[in-house]
Amino acid sequence: MAVLEDVTSPPAAGLRPRGVSRRDRWQRRLPLLPALIYTIVVTQVPFLVTLWYSFQSYFWNEPGGAHWTGVSNYREVFTDPSFRSALWRSVTMTVIAVILAMILGILLAVLLDKKFIGRGIVRTLLITPFLVMPAAAALVWAGPMLDPNFGLLNWLLEPFGVNHVAWLTTHAYGSVIVVMIWQWTPFMTLIVLAGLQGQAADVLEAAKVDGASAWSTFRELTLPHLRPYIELGILLGTIYLVTAFDQVRLMTNGGPGTETTTLPFFLYQKVNYAFDVGGAAAAGVVTVLLTIIVASFALRMFARVFQFEEAR
Amino acid sequence: MTAVTAREAAAPGAPRRGRRTRELSGLAGWTVLGWVAGIAFFIPVLWMVVTAFKPESAAETWPPQFTFSPTLSEFRLVFSGMGPFIEHSAVATVGSTVLVLVLALPAAYALSIHPVGKWRDSLFFFISTKMLPVVAAIGPLYVIALKAHLLDSIWLLIILYAAMNLPLAIWMIRSFMLEVPGEMLEAARLDGAGRFREITEVIMPVVSPGLVSTGLICVIFAWNELFLALNLTVTNAATMPMFLISSVPQEGLYIAHLSAAATVASVPVIIVGWIAQRSLVRGLSMGAIK
Amino acid sequence: MAGVRYAAASRVYAKGARPAVDGLDLEIKDGEFMVLVGPSGSGKTTALRMLAGLEPLDGGRIEIGGRDISDVQPKDRDIAMVFQNYALYPSKTVAENMGFALKMRHVPRPERDRRVREAARILDLDEALLDRKPKQLSGGQRQRVAMGRAIVREPKVFLMDEPLSNLDAKLRVQTRSQIAELQRRLGITTVYVTHDQVEAMTMGHRVAVLSGGKLQQCASPRELYDNPVNQFVAGFIGSPAMNLLPAPLTDGGARLAGAVIPLSPAVRAAAARDKLTELVVGIRPEHLHLVAAPASAGSASAGSAPAGSAPSAGTGVDQALHGEVLLVEELGADALLHVRLTGDGDGTGDGAGRGGTVVARTEGRKAPAPGQPVAFRVQPDNVFAFSPETGARLAS
Repeated sequence: MAVLEDVTSPPAAGLRPRGVSRRDRWQRRLPLLPALIYTIVVTQVPFLVTLWYSFQSYFWNEPGGAHWTGVSNYREVFTDPSFRSALWRSVTMTVIAVILAMILGILLAVLLDKKFIGRGIVRTLLITPFLVMPAAAALVWAGPMLDPNFGLLNWLLEPFGVNHVAWLTTHAYGSVIVVMIWQWTPFMTLIVLAGLQGQAADVLEAAKVDGASAWSTFRELTLPHLRPYIELGILLGTIYLVTAFDQVRLMTNGGPGTETTTLPFFLYQKVNYAFDVGGAAAAGVVTVLLTIIVASFALRMFARVFQFEEAR
Repeated sequence: MTAVTAREAAAPGAPRRGRRTRELSGLAGWTVLGWVAGIAFFIPVLWMVVTAFKPESAAETWPPQFTFSPTLSEFRLVFSGMGPFIEHSAVATVGSTVLVLVLALPAAYALSIHPVGKWRDSLFFFISTKMLPVVAAIGPLYVIALKAHLLDSIWLLIILYAAMNLPLAIWMIRSFMLEVPGEMLEAARLDGAGRFREITEVIMPVVSPGLVSTGLICVIFAWNELFLALNLTVTNAATMPMFLISSVPQEGLYIAHLSAAATVASVPVIIVGWIAQRSLVRGLSMGAIK
Repeated sequence: MAGVRYAAASRVYAKGARPAVDGLDLEIKDGEFMVLVGPSGSGKTTALRMLAGLEPLDGGRIEIGGRDISDVQPKDRDIAMVFQNYALYPSKTVAENMGFALKMRHVPRPERDRRVREAARILDLDEALLDRKPKQLSGGQRQRVAMGRAIVREPKVFLMDEPLSNLDAKLRVQTRSQIAELQRRLGITTVYVTHDQVEAMTMGHRVAVLSGGKLQQCASPRELYDNPVNQFVAGFIGSPAMNLLPAPLTDGGARLAGAVIPLSPAVRAAAARDKLTELVVGIRPEHLHLVAAPASAGSASAGSAPAGSAPSAGTGVDQALHGEVLLVEELGADALLHVRLTGDGDGTGDGAGRGGTVVARTEGRKAPAPGQPVAFRVQPDNVFAFSPETGARLAS
């Protein structure tokens, strides 16, 4: 009489999955090391030095070099109203510019997703603002575009009752934001467009059969699909725009007064006009700490957006 | 059941009228909208180029002039003055891009094809360096550069631009490498290809176009960079953005000259960007979006 | 519930190109399960999409329930569609997917939920799945959600575009019968597209065979099998496929591999009328009956000769097809023999013994081995004849 064998016998004791050998591990690390070491040295060392100087009193224009001053630089940063207003200005300008650029970007992406005559050329025209050297863009907007006496914008708006407005004086804040939006909308457009083109055609057809109008389809299906792309665009746009410098320096020089002084410009002034290396360092450290808080937020979002990118 | 009329039984190719007109009017509408948007965004660039061909007297007028006798005099001035600047820009851009590719290629390999254990952490470390503002360290950076005798040196720019573009390049090249079909690598391994063969014969052919577009993206960012150049160079390493700033004098007419300088400074990158258009998204999104 | 009618419907993609759907005339009765079958490029999917309104008509018209819907938007046609890749809304839950169409029609929430749950019950979808997103479901579950999305609509017509092609074989067979049973229960007119003729034969009330954009034949599965109207339908329907071989005409029949296959007078008259010298002869695998091997004529037959067939020995012209077994496919109860016909079995070397290979079905237990010589006989009634020029069936 045959006995039923236990086909599912427990595994032999002591079996463990075989790991990667030590040598292989180091072989894999080797190619990464040059880039890693380079980055650490070039980016982390300056920050360590910044940290060091933040505790020093060091003025360019004074003899005697740097000497220890404890946390007085930090005290100054936290009590300095101009630091706080520069920080606030950076935040507001970035938020406004990013959001408006994204809204415009979505509209333009929807446009570019439709077939029409000369679509390729229009697309090329639309991405050009992003490629123009920011310094050139800033100077061209400041002069030939916005000048009260000969600027093109005043001429274009004349029929609407606009009369030789000195944009960079009376509307400096808005003007700088407009240029930022002009330069970064193409970026948002391209990212959202990639998302639109990635939508499965048959899902959209199913919506048609199910009775959804064009607007319903957009609201119920396309926007949710675009969400990771929009998040990525806002995330990256914020990272790039919060450190934007060229427009402020070349259009308004932070003015009038301090109306358009953002954090990068504030730091630039501290170093170049106040010659205050210690103070700038402390302000810089505080900036970095604030950025780290926002960045860890951002990194978590990044992780979610990139979750599908697994290594082999 | 109605009988099929002769018209409806017509040969295929006879379009149904209602649908066609609907399609055409939709097409016309989007075409108009598209061109309006495209031109609106392009006007500042167009105006820049147009003004560059004006003599100064025609550049600062009211109303702005659209017809004038074009002249190359401003361009000639720009070309004669920009020599060292464009040279520095070229060296800094090409040099830093070469350095970036040399460092990024193996790093991307180590993060995609034969990944290290902690590849996620490494990737996020690289991108975190992009998030920290270099503006914060500009003071101490200046001091370091001074002490290392690198101030106003083209090498300083090469080093810093490379560090600036490296995370972007690593993410981007990695995304290209992930597209190499796993089966191709396994087949190569079975055929006896070693690490070197694998790289030259399997990976590089697939990845080369991606390397080119990565390089182009790095060129765009390096060429356009102002902040570091402004703060860390004076004359020996001054780049094109600096040249632009210098074309704004304290007094006198300068708009046409500025426009010419801006045009010359921007045109190389605009052309590069138009060529690399397809991979612009991939580069800007760090390889997240193809 | 409504019938569907294609009236000379046509679709062409580029001026002057071959139409994707060429003058399709098809009438589908109310409540009928009609299968559109054909190879890829036959126009079956295009015809379905034209009915859905996803492709425009370039000629002719389409009616649902007597109403001309050729220019009506998909959403106003009262149809529901199951897509090949399911086309589920990725950002919505299963319940939201199924209720989406109702939401678009402003059906109030409680009614929507009721219908969704009812559809889930009919399809045997666990209620727990209703709150999951499509990407969390298996292929089979997604397929059922796609069906549920259509059922909930209670439309006039169901459209299905190869809904089983992404399922593994076992699931496909299971789901096939479920769909057929469901349609029987709900009684909704269904137009079903597939390239798999087994699916077509087992599921449809009637099957429309398409090729090159043209309708070849529309009939019940049995009718298609027994009375194919042309060579294409004959060769497409039936698995394994009908054996189709060129055979020159001769006295009383057609010569195939040295033997003469008798043809009915009607066929011979049709051939003469069309001035044909050669035919395409079609014989189904199960109609090739294994007889005793030619060397031992008269000894006990090794294969199955059906009762009533005339003994072969000594009746003048040898009517058996001779060949050599190349390959035996075991199916369990049956076996398929791949046989290479060796011409000139009786040495009438007139060079017309073009060999060719045929597939024959025999009883599994008695199948000969590869390499063995075999002989077949075929009843004249089971021989189809087609014109080599037009492919049309010659008389009957």
